[in-house]
Amino acid sequence: MNLKVEKRRVDGVTIVSCQGRIMFGDEANALRDFLKQVLTETPRMVLNLSGVTYIDSGGLGTLVGVYSSARGAGADIKLTGLGQRLRDVLQITKLATVFEVFDSEQEALTALGRGAA
Amino acid sequence: MAFQPITGPVSSPGSGIFPTLVFVQGNDQRTINLDHTPFTVGRKVDKDLVIADPRVSRDHALITSEDGQFCVVDQGSKHGTFVNGERVQRKTLERNDRVEFGVRDVSYVIFHPHHASSNTAREFLSQISGIQISTDTTDLEKLTLFLEAARKLNTTGVLDEILVTLLDATLKLTRAERGYVFMRDEENNLRLAAGRNSKGEPLLDDTTISHSILDEGVKSNSEFVITDTSQSLDLAGRHSIVAYDLRTVICIPLRKPQVQATRDAQVAVPSESSAEVMGALYVDSRFASRDISSVSNDILRAIATEAASLIENARLVQAEEASRRYQQELSIAASIQQRLMAVTIPEVPFARLKGRNLSCKEIGGDFFDAVNTDEGLAVVLADVSGKGVSAALLASTLQGMIYSQLSAGMPLIDIVLAANRFFTHKHIGEKYATLIIARIRRDGELEYVNCGHVPPLLVCNKEVIRPPHGNLPVGLLADATYESDHVSLHAGDRLILVTDGVTEAENARGDFFEDSRLEAVAAKSATLEDIFAAVANFCGGTPLNDDCTVVELVYTG
Repeated sequence: MNLKVEKRRVDGVTIVSCQGRIMFGDEANALRDFLKQVLTETPRMVLNLSGVTYIDSGGLGTLVGVYSSARGAGADIKLTGLGQRLRDVLQITKLATVFEVFDSEQEALTALGRGAA
Repeated sequence: MAFQPITGPVSSPGSGIFPTLVFVQGNDQRTINLDHTPFTVGRKVDKDLVIADPRVSRDHALITSEDGQFCVVDQGSKHGTFVNGERVQRKTLERNDRVEFGVRDVSYVIFHPHHASSNTAREFLSQISGIQISTDTTDLEKLTLFLEAARKLNTTGVLDEILVTLLDATLKLTRAERGYVFMRDEENNLRLAAGRNSKGEPLLDDTTISHSILDEGVKSNSEFVITDTSQSLDLAGRHSIVAYDLRTVICIPLRKPQVQATRDAQVAVPSESSAEVMGALYVDSRFASRDISSVSNDILRAIATEAASLIENARLVQAEEASRRYQQELSIAASIQQRLMAVTIPEVPFARLKGRNLSCKEIGGDFFDAVNTDEGLAVVLADVSGKGVSAALLASTLQGMIYSQLSAGMPLIDIVLAANRFFTHKHIGEKYATLIIARIRRDGELEYVNCGHVPPLLVCNKEVIRPPHGNLPVGLLADATYESDHVSLHAGDRLILVTDGVTEAENARGDFFEDSRLEAVAAKSATLEDIFAAVANFCGGTPLNDDCTVVELVYTG
């Protein structure tokens, strides 16, 4: 298991930070469970991926799965801290049009605040 | 009565040439050689085995031998004959079968038990049911005996049997009425794993135990918790204590052994509160039954230590089994993948197609395929997310779908839309596929649709072009739309398709092969082999994380 996940609360929003690799299997499963748990506590989440060094196809599938089921359930997830690789992957897969990606945690929080207001 | 000589398969040298019957009655036990058949059982004094109990019929049952098999036959007894708890009229006996005649539990016969040198769980179970607690040996000696035998179980790896064995041993030692083992599940909740009563019957229901005492026991730092409800008034009001008339409850948390567990049961192993609690052993007895509150602490401490290491060992063995199954799964996946990659490449006058795949150890869901129709020569390269059998099976299904639609000359966009519908409609979890389908006409007109795949390399006159065109992968979003791209090729132009196993091939430093290296080698190379050689050269000895597939389509004009 090469993934560490932490959460903290800011103004009713949960910020989840990931460190390590998001790979098909243990990491992706752990992340999915963690995010689902967080979403039962707060429907608004910022997912900070700045500590993520690698994400494989399975990990990406997990992210999209959680993201779209959360959106379906009325929850709101913003992404931030995407490295160049992940940006490239999202570009290639056109998933950049699906996720809402922000350059900083603050911008993501602001966007969530606007959504709530 | 005519006796016939025994010609049965008598294999165990330890018991002589005849099978043995171990007759257990209360605290007595004796071994009878089954040296003739029919062997008679009943209350009458002329029987081979006389059981003086009113519930046993005068002519109760026979043990006969036929074709080397032994059979117990009920003689129309009033209270029945039971083999391993099941009432039978006639039943072929297996070694270690427990046979009861009319009277249950108090007396029974074990048919031809194995000897102590044997080491299967089943044999051990019969051994401990044969061993009787007498007051001469100390409880600790008995425990040592049980647990010595129990260690042999580690080779069998059958957790359930170990739990039952553990319960039987514990019930005998504590003389409690009922025993349960609870194990933590993945969500950290205690789940009933096994239950037995002192009669050796399985208990499947844990609603009549004191869950509050169980929870307290698991949370406590002590090695065991004895609760005598007659001594502590504050407990007397609790629901389960009242409703089920519980008198004494003993709860032993099962902690993961921290170091080498000591085998000397008298040396207490320091159980740190931080040690992971795997589960709990719970025994109780009711007011109507015997008092077990005076069970010696040494016994309970020994059980706590040994039970935990026993279960831990059993789990390790289970993990090994799981790993074996995983290896099996890998070979299944590998065979599916071989079929996926066994593509017959169509020969056409205007183009040349080549594909090559290098599988990593863990099987992924790469496939490629090629179909020639009036619409042109079509090639598809796909990578289903995930690994193992599920990915390989999904790849196989997807390959079939795409092949049939390409054969039917369907528009490329319709094909990927159908694939996307298939994945999203069937709710295949988070599985999806990146794929690229390209179709080249005789006149050099190339249409392709890229669904989240590594962009293709278009090599024209040693110049590499990476078209920016792309779509979402198939299977992620139900309402995704797709577009295709068109390029006109000239004779000698090449289209190179790769899976991300190529661009993400890693070297020892953790660097990826990357698009830049791929483009460089594609620009100067003439063959697929050159690309694979470049990847191998880059990786050094670092094994591949993912399958590498490269497909090359050359338009020859």
